[in-house]
Amino acid sequence: MKDLAVRLEALDADAGAALRVIAYFDSLTESRAGLQAIVRGAAVLAGVPARLDDAERRVHVRITPAGVSEASAEPADTGWPRTEIGARAVLALERTGEPGPVDAMILERAAGAARAVLDRTRGRAPAEDPALVELIVDAAAPLSVREVAARKLGLDGPVRAAARPAGPLVLPAGAAVPPGRIGLGPAVPVADLPASYAAARVALRFAADGTDDDPGPPVVAYESLGGLALLAAAPLPEAIPDLDALAHAMASAPWALATLQAFADTASLRAAATALRLHHSTLQDRIIHLEHLLGWPTRTTAGKLRLQIALALRRLARHP
Amino acid sequence: MTHPPVPFDPELAAALAALGDQVPTAITPDMIAAARQATDPAMAPPTDEELSLGGTYTVAERVVPGPADAPDISLLICTPAGADSACPAIYYTHGGGMILGDNRNGMAGMVEIAARYGAVVVSVEYRLAPETRHPGPIEDVYAGLVWTAKNAAELGIDPDRILIAGGSAGGGLTAALGLLARDRGGPAVLGQLLMCPMLDDRNDSVSAEQMAGRGVWDRTANATGWGALLGDAAGGPDVSPYAAPARATDLSGLPPAFIDVGSAETFRDEDVAYATAIWQAGGRAELHVWPGGYHGFEAFAPAAAVSQDAKAARLRWLDRLFA
Repeated sequence: MKDLAVRLEALDADAGAALRVIAYFDSLTESRAGLQAIVRGAAVLAGVPARLDDAERRVHVRITPAGVSEASAEPADTGWPRTEIGARAVLALERTGEPGPVDAMILERAAGAARAVLDRTRGRAPAEDPALVELIVDAAAPLSVREVAARKLGLDGPVRAAARPAGPLVLPAGAAVPPGRIGLGPAVPVADLPASYAAARVALRFAADGTDDDPGPPVVAYESLGGLALLAAAPLPEAIPDLDALAHAMASAPWALATLQAFADTASLRAAATALRLHHSTLQDRIIHLEHLLGWPTRTTAGKLRLQIALALRRLARHP
Repeated sequence: MTHPPVPFDPELAAALAALGDQVPTAITPDMIAAARQATDPAMAPPTDEELSLGGTYTVAERVVPGPADAPDISLLICTPAGADSACPAIYYTHGGGMILGDNRNGMAGMVEIAARYGAVVVSVEYRLAPETRHPGPIEDVYAGLVWTAKNAAELGIDPDRILIAGGSAGGGLTAALGLLARDRGGPAVLGQLLMCPMLDDRNDSVSAEQMAGRGVWDRTANATGWGALLGDAAGGPDVSPYAAPARATDLSGLPPAFIDVGSAETFRDEDVAYATAIWQAGGRAELHVWPGGYHGFEAFAPAAAVSQDAKAARLRWLDRLFA
């Protein structure tokens, strides 16, 4: 006898798999199953580990397809299929590459079931006190005070500070990252959270809104910045010629910035074209046009670096 | 009085809901032929390749003598590769309500368990009802055990460490095998692993009644299985304990038993009663009743929390037995 995932896979052809996913989670909801059962269902049906992280209620559940609860030190990958539950909870399937045929259905249904449980049990979940979080990332607060705050927040083991426009957040090292623009500090012991938060704030400046006006990754980890982080420490002059060039390009075409960002973020023209859903020859024409407007070549290694730095400076200027 | 049904465990219920009509609750005699033809790919028997666990087991079919005046029987034998001393063995009898299945059913799980102990697994192909009525099936199962014990040296088996095991109808046949081996002075048996065994042709317990029409293998299906094995004698006064071990009046002198069953299945009460009767006869038995479990739940929903607990309990018993 094979397990459910294998059985459901065999049924994909007749589109019955989606109906069976619906039946599975409807049944869990009907019998008031708990979060573990719901996350386990997502993992079993998807055939990959699933995790639910609710930063607000400090709920962190990760289950393997064999149904075993297993914490992971690995941070959540922002490329995983995921769905948000309310403002700060995330349900994710740890799948890289091609999504499974019913991933979207699993996420939608499991999230619905989990939301019902979270809402039902909300009263029992201790609300995170923003003042305590601000305290444990504050280098000026004495260590003993920060340690008491950490205990009140139920934090132990490696944690990382995160910076959002709305303020600080502290996440267990492997937890999924809540949605929205966010900078992540390195995972550290509780005592080192102020340093992690300082790094997270730097990372936040490099994080994009994800809009046409500010394209790029909304989640940036400090560790991924390398030497680029030094730019954040430098005072920015009033006028930066390369930023004026970017503004000039943007004024001429509404797609200019998103195009340049995608081109800067990917390894090849072809990959950028895929990301932008453009034909690669169309993208090539656009890049040639943009190079003319910018005044420097972008398809050379040096030119691409100059573009990447210009885009980073633009984001720093935008998010002081 | 009527008894309300026991609710299923939430995860087990969800798996059943997802599987829907793939799992029939009631099986009537006219459905036997179609059930044997079923082509559900997930129910496909394991291949030799799968049973070899990546080359750590060798897989062979042996045709050996059956009962006197009966056809030969086939044994599927999975042996740990490169074992240099005599291994413990699990003599396995498949399930299928006496009417379905072959000696590959359930073997993937058995070999996985056996690998933990470096044990040989021998799975017997017995003739099915209704074509073969009692005592044909149990005599096939017994003949296979006798041959296995007699040829232990050739098979690399330690004859003092043979466990008998089976699930559902295979669990019932295994319980009967324990009785038969005791009464005929047959091969020594180290223990009997009875997984949700089918023991009682009377089919009239509270659990059979309250779970009718629900879950897996309900009272109607059970009547079909026993009717196939026993014909009109099923439920009557003259049924042999070697057909229906619940009929046994003497349960002394049996090998240690492990019995597990779901609280929400037809077999609950007869399985609990069997464990109780073993204790009352001064015997050794370990009984687990898994809450909200329907028949064969851990096969349908292996990742569910209660399924993991059920499998872990079996392994802990085996750890103590083989230690």
